[in-house]
Amino acid sequence: MSNFRQTIAALVWLALALCGAGAQAAPVADMPRAAVLKAFCAPDGDKAAALTQLVALGVSAAKPADRAWARQIVEAMRNGALSCTADARATIQGTPPLDALTLQPATDATANPADTPYVPGILMMRKLSVASAEIDLFAPQRDTRDAAARQVDKFFTLLDPAVVARAIRQEHDPDIATTLTLAMAKRGLNSDVKAERLAAIKAVAEVPSQTARTALANFAAQDSVRADPDLRDAVQAALHHIDTWLTVGQALSILFSGLSYAGVLLLTALGLSIVFGLMGVINLAHGEFIMIGAYATYLVERFMQAHLPGLFDAYIFVAIPVAFIVCAACGMLLEFCVIRFLYRRPLETLLATWAVSIALIKLIQVLFGSQNLEFVTPAFLNGGMQVAPGFFVTYNRLFAIGLAVLIYGATFAVIRLTKLGLLMRATTQLRDMARCLGVPAERVDRVAFGVGAGLAGLAGVVLTQIASVNPSMGTGFVVDSFMVVVLGGAGSLAGTAVSSLALGEINQFIEPFYGAVAAKVAVLLLIVLIIQKRPQGLFALKTRV
Amino acid sequence: MNTLPDPHAPQRFTLSSLAAKWLGPATEACVAPLLLLVALYLPFAYFVLPEASALHLSLFGINLIGQIMCFALLALALDLVWGYAGILSLGHGVFFGIGGYLMAIYLLNGAYEQTHVLPDFMQYMGASEFPPLWKALSRLDVTVLATIVASAAVAAVFGFVTFRSRINGVYLSIITQALTYALMLLLFINDVGLGGNNGMTGFTQLAGHPVAGATTQIGLAVASCVLLVAAYVGVRYLTRSALGRALIAVRDDEARMRFLGYRTHTLKLLAWCLSAVLAALAGMLYVPQVGIVNPTIVSPQLSVEIAVWVAIGGRGTLLGAIFGAILVNGIKFWLTAELPAVWPFILAGVTLLIVVCFNNGVWGTFKAAAGRERQP
Repeated sequence: MSNFRQTIAALVWLALALCGAGAQAAPVADMPRAAVLKAFCAPDGDKAAALTQLVALGVSAAKPADRAWARQIVEAMRNGALSCTADARATIQGTPPLDALTLQPATDATANPADTPYVPGILMMRKLSVASAEIDLFAPQRDTRDAAARQVDKFFTLLDPAVVARAIRQEHDPDIATTLTLAMAKRGLNSDVKAERLAAIKAVAEVPSQTARTALANFAAQDSVRADPDLRDAVQAALHHIDTWLTVGQALSILFSGLSYAGVLLLTALGLSIVFGLMGVINLAHGEFIMIGAYATYLVERFMQAHLPGLFDAYIFVAIPVAFIVCAACGMLLEFCVIRFLYRRPLETLLATWAVSIALIKLIQVLFGSQNLEFVTPAFLNGGMQVAPGFFVTYNRLFAIGLAVLIYGATFAVIRLTKLGLLMRATTQLRDMARCLGVPAERVDRVAFGVGAGLAGLAGVVLTQIASVNPSMGTGFVVDSFMVVVLGGAGSLAGTAVSSLALGEINQFIEPFYGAVAAKVAVLLLIVLIIQKRPQGLFALKTRV
Repeated sequence: MNTLPDPHAPQRFTLSSLAAKWLGPATEACVAPLLLLVALYLPFAYFVLPEASALHLSLFGINLIGQIMCFALLALALDLVWGYAGILSLGHGVFFGIGGYLMAIYLLNGAYEQTHVLPDFMQYMGASEFPPLWKALSRLDVTVLATIVASAAVAAVFGFVTFRSRINGVYLSIITQALTYALMLLLFINDVGLGGNNGMTGFTQLAGHPVAGATTQIGLAVASCVLLVAAYVGVRYLTRSALGRALIAVRDDEARMRFLGYRTHTLKLLAWCLSAVLAALAGMLYVPQVGIVNPTIVSPQLSVEIAVWVAIGGRGTLLGAIFGAILVNGIKFWLTAELPAVWPFILAGVTLLIVVCFNNGVWGTFKAAAGRERQP
């Protein structure tokens, strides 16, 4: 593939060379560079204007190489190492001296040690430092950009608004974008020209954030602003605009975190709902399968770190089948040893599974200790992107939602399309009749129980990325997922999806304003109310028992 | 081949023969006087017997017995609804907690009267005066009345809403568990004003007597025993009355009882409220004995454990519930001191064994064996 690209590129170059006059010394692409240097070296040239040209070249998206070049020239200027030759070309002094145009060692003809280098003054030094920062704003490394943004912010009076505005538009990292916005705002708002102030207000309103809002609010409090009706109205409009966007952003982020919580709830409640629908059994140890899934992920992570460091980031994908299989095996073992003796006695099953759950928690405490486990997040799940102002999509939550949807789809397919699913549905509807028709109900139970436990294990995998992992992590979740089952109706896949979505969102919408407890209490009240009307849940299955 | 047993055959030594010999109605009738005897023995053992005597009880031991008696009362309360009305509540800690917290408010009233220093958690929250609302609970009799009314009211509202819409079985258990979980989270918050995470402590006097004093503690332990006996006798009478029969019928086939014209949800509500009041009274006696109340007494953990005591002892047999609570908590106090890491495994193992193999619990199994022996 890369060979192919290189060939094409070579052909293009060849064609360009043929089309061009072919007589020019420098290649076509270096023309802007030469022009910048020429402007700089012109005897009565405006050095500041030349610097602006240089920055413009450095930040133009055309060629990444230009950025590195411009950065080096600026650095040479700051070090006082750039000197102009008699024929208005430039060299970078050093050993050996470099031709500024090509950055190749200079030939004897161009290098002349007698040339005095250009020594910038204090103002020019600042401009140069802003210029290098501005060029760095387009660097691919986040840390470089971050440092550059701080530098620009420090000398905000000198920044080039066009360049910085473009940098803000390209910036994915919200922190950097905010820093730059603030720098722009300070510059524009402190200007004496009314038009610039108005433009700055507008510019700040374009990139709404909490910091921008604070800057504008401070600005609005100034006497000179309050005296001027135009400015006052503009600021009020801008503030209103920002507030609107911030509200939207906040609503979106709550929606998003509710969605990710709903994803985990869905994975947990799905298994619970299948098992409850099929066997009328509530598994109080279900939360502990989440915990086992998380610990299995931990073991996979440790193993990959020790033996396959090259593929380390993929551990989360390796953990998915491992956690599923481990938890499914534990679940089937539990079914075989305990649950199958208790089918006609659902209340006793509660106690038996509770006993299993405290034993499992204690066991994991003895084996791993009761502290929170430290996970190294895979690189591709780190960070996130800003979708709207104030709304930041983190990749780990996106992963949780994606995995939940995928697994829900898979479970739905298994139940609807496979033979196992058919047998499960038959047993759920009318166990005795199914058995008469030859459905091996006991085996179906065992497999279903295993699948339910495995799904809880997958929830554990997801939780390693968005919550803390410790032996008692499952207990809090299990009450919530029971609520999902009670609300959605046992055994109903659609009901489970709808009610986990509803409960996840309700939880996250109430929590920021009234606290987690109010959220839990509200959910409980809601469920008690809904159950008044629909005792079997929202989506009760039609069974014939 | 079905032959009548030979009455002259030598009696073989089996579990059922043992049970038949020892577990008659006479034995059951002995339990209440036995518990009263314990109540009488406690002050005797502390004040009269010399410390060197093997029968002497330390204050710590008496305090422990008192706490266990509270748990037994709690188990009795749960057995009334689970064993006789078929309602497995995994949230009886709520009522226990109502009793405990109201008692703590009363005790803090007493402490404030004596010292005029606000409790630590109030100072921490920046309060400058004792909450006026709390002063309503400055008398013991008012507090007891308030506890009974509050627990019955909460139980009535919750029970009315759930029983009327015919929520039963596992659904009801789960909702009660969510209820106690929500209450625990609520009490964890400092702003609720009930001490938050740390709970309430620093009690000094109970009806004019120093809380930590020997007389008060022994008095509380004796009161726990006596209340347990009274509750046992009362509940036993209730379950053997016509009302109790109706309850058992509801437990076994609610639909049929409804068709027969009984208002089953009223019957259940009655048992539910009575059970809640008993649990709240147990909480009232428990808190001054441990000297602190905090949100863990309404944790789902404790509430499930109550059901486990009842299951181990034997549900539907009131003595079994009392026996189970005493047995499990006795072993728990002993083992958590000796082998704290092993206790959860033992509790889990015993629970599994009982639930899977001996559905009727220890007492119930013996009783059934005795029944078989007497009527082969």
